[in-house]
Amino acid sequence: MPKILIVDASKCVGCRDCELVCSAKHYQTFKSSLSGIATIKFDEISRDVPMVCQQCEKPACQAVCPVNAISRDEETAALVINYDLCIGCKACVSACPFGAIHFDDEEKRPIKCDLCDGDPECVKICPSEALKYEEADKATMAKRRESIEHLPELLKLITGEKG
Amino acid sequence: MFKGKGYTGRILRINLSTGKISKEPLPDFVVRNYIGGNGFSVYYLYKELEPGIDPLGSKNKIVIGTGPLTGTLWPSSGRFSIGAKSPLTGFWGEANSGGFFGPELKYAGYDAIIIEGRAKKPVYIEIFNGEVAIKDAKHLWGRNTKEVTLELQKEDKETQVLCIGQGGENLVAYASIMSNLHRAFGRSGQGAVWGSKNLKAIAVRGTGRVDVANFDKFIELSKEAHRKVQEDEAARQMFTYGTNLLVSAKQAIGEFVTRNHSTGVFEGAEKLAAEVLKEKFNGRPRACFGCSNACKEVYTTSHANPWAPDMVTEGPEYEGTMAFGSNCGIDDYDMILYVSDLCNKYGIDQISLGIAISFLMECYEKGLITKKDCDGLELRWGNKEAVVALTHKTAKREGIGDLLAEGVKRASEKLGRGTERYAMHVKGQEVSGQDGRTHRSVALTHAVGARGADHLRSLVTVDQLGYKAAARKRYKDLFKGKSKKEQEVILNELCNPYLENYKAYAVKVTEDIFAIRDALVVCWYTCGWPPIFWIEDFARIMPLATGEEALGDVQELLKIGERQVNVKRAFNIREGLTREDDTLPKRFTEEPMPEGPGKGQVANLKVMLDEYYRLRGWDLETGMIKRKTLKRLNLPEIEKELDKLKKMID
Repeated sequence: MPKILIVDASKCVGCRDCELVCSAKHYQTFKSSLSGIATIKFDEISRDVPMVCQQCEKPACQAVCPVNAISRDEETAALVINYDLCIGCKACVSACPFGAIHFDDEEKRPIKCDLCDGDPECVKICPSEALKYEEADKATMAKRRESIEHLPELLKLITGEKG
Repeated sequence: MFKGKGYTGRILRINLSTGKISKEPLPDFVVRNYIGGNGFSVYYLYKELEPGIDPLGSKNKIVIGTGPLTGTLWPSSGRFSIGAKSPLTGFWGEANSGGFFGPELKYAGYDAIIIEGRAKKPVYIEIFNGEVAIKDAKHLWGRNTKEVTLELQKEDKETQVLCIGQGGENLVAYASIMSNLHRAFGRSGQGAVWGSKNLKAIAVRGTGRVDVANFDKFIELSKEAHRKVQEDEAARQMFTYGTNLLVSAKQAIGEFVTRNHSTGVFEGAEKLAAEVLKEKFNGRPRACFGCSNACKEVYTTSHANPWAPDMVTEGPEYEGTMAFGSNCGIDDYDMILYVSDLCNKYGIDQISLGIAISFLMECYEKGLITKKDCDGLELRWGNKEAVVALTHKTAKREGIGDLLAEGVKRASEKLGRGTERYAMHVKGQEVSGQDGRTHRSVALTHAVGARGADHLRSLVTVDQLGYKAAARKRYKDLFKGKSKKEQEVILNELCNPYLENYKAYAVKVTEDIFAIRDALVVCWYTCGWPPIFWIEDFARIMPLATGEEALGDVQELLKIGERQVNVKRAFNIREGLTREDDTLPKRFTEEPMPEGPGKGQVANLKVMLDEYYRLRGWDLETGMIKRKTLKRLNLPEIEKELDKLKKMID
């Protein structure tokens, strides 16, 4: 089973290391617009949310691409752009409901996460386990369990512990 | 012009008097002799400021410097430096902070900004890659740093903002410059310099790139460095709890600064322990750019908090907890959080304000001043309402706040009546949250700091936190040619917080290396505390970043560091500094520590200072730099100028 990249924004510390390793891996430079992942910062509430391609099952980007440049990788299930076909029309940028495709004005091409061929750099560098790369079932069950643990009152009810 | 990597190769120069904006090539000479970051301040401020100028006049200049590692993956490299002659001390001024502005400036295409002159009315500077404009700040003047930041991010939320609050506008001598709401360029009154120039803010957005010379090796070493930070036990502790971990560590050696530095033990320390705060305020970590250490703690106050209910804020660091907590005899973190947040909004240095308030409190308790002097406030230890009131008054320069806004040196000189004895400052800068009696190296650190009583330019932690393994590696020359037994004795004495032995050497070496740290620019966490990276690591990464092989030589880096310390010294000598200025409040040298594990300890500054001058090649009597030292460091212009001023010793 292909793994999925899952984001836990509550753990993100906002360091942007994920962006740095992403542009480094794919373009041998440090430039956030060449990164498939972006940390969206909310300084007013001291929160940070990593935004990255969800590799949708019904991908809007693929549906709107007029030249069929976006296809799914058989091994990783990542949606990958074939730049030989891509005409740079930016329809995918408009279509993505997460804003997870960025258009870089230097390379003149859309940039999105390709899951690093199944070994995502961002997950390896993340200092706070805000990014995980796991089998869908394992990742989502773990998320479920953690969510309950964050609801102490509910947990007390379940375990019968007196609060 | 520098053609290597790691830099953008451009310096932005803005004259606020004429409105002229120019882009200068980055000189090779500066890279090879000063590297960058604070090194830009060192080079340009010495060269371009006339001695004796008014720090709040149009002739002072502001230098904002990033370094060759800024904007890259090297850990904790999100920091940058701001310098200008200090209105608090009249001497050298600089401050350094993290956040996200520095990398953004580099992505916009600039290594540094030099700001000159004075605008006729309030302005802010807007930078979008190559486009730079000086804009009207009428709508921003009078507003706090949070309001200004959010206003300037209205059109583009990714914009990074550096700004001053009312503190800087009102020329509070220790006003700060803020970025990302809670990152402070706190010390030496840099915010007042901005205020004096009618400069409210700089907003920058950059969409460019930073390239390095040897990409594959740079990435490999950087990833390994991040792993080191992530696997270091002490760094993980800091990640989890933030820098308030120091509360318990310092209490344990009797160095938790309490009641205006009168003691190092605070009866309320347990209530301020990092673990307690994390639990009570639901602490969670937040990081600066490129950092795996994430030392910032985000705290949320409860709905029942009487000062600021349901507030989400970052910090304070240990220093703020000390300044408004133990230092004022207060163990109520609800109130400390509120005042810390208030200082960030006003743009005031928390250390200096806390020490200024505790100065007044001690004078009041000792009967040297009365309620009448203090706008009717009862300045007893622990009076929380008074601390809040004095914070507002100082930012607005109202009543007694007008006096406090000058810093404790000038405030005590104006008050007289023997209050000078309780003014905890060196060269006019309030003493940070260490105590030289029970952490002996810091007595020297405070005394010799170019920007006054400052801990961050040479803080030796091995005699505070007991890092014996690090001590042996870092100060290895001490152990050369000694027997095993002798080495053991040296190590124990070096790490003993209550002994002067070997501290001058440790301070000198640390100061040189921290000058390199501030040039790259990387954070002092992961260098000083916990001790992960040191000069050898910098020497490994520098050629990979820049392509300059010479910057990979430890000896060359040490020389560059030593050069920067000496140029700052020359700057201060030119402003009239002598040995008399490298001193400490008498409390640290004459009043024995009254209680705790370090009871009875005093600092013998003279013995450390003599040794430090000898190691530096400075004259023992006057504190001036000897000619042969300037020659060794290849500083012919400075030699010529100091010679002309008759401020050099042959």
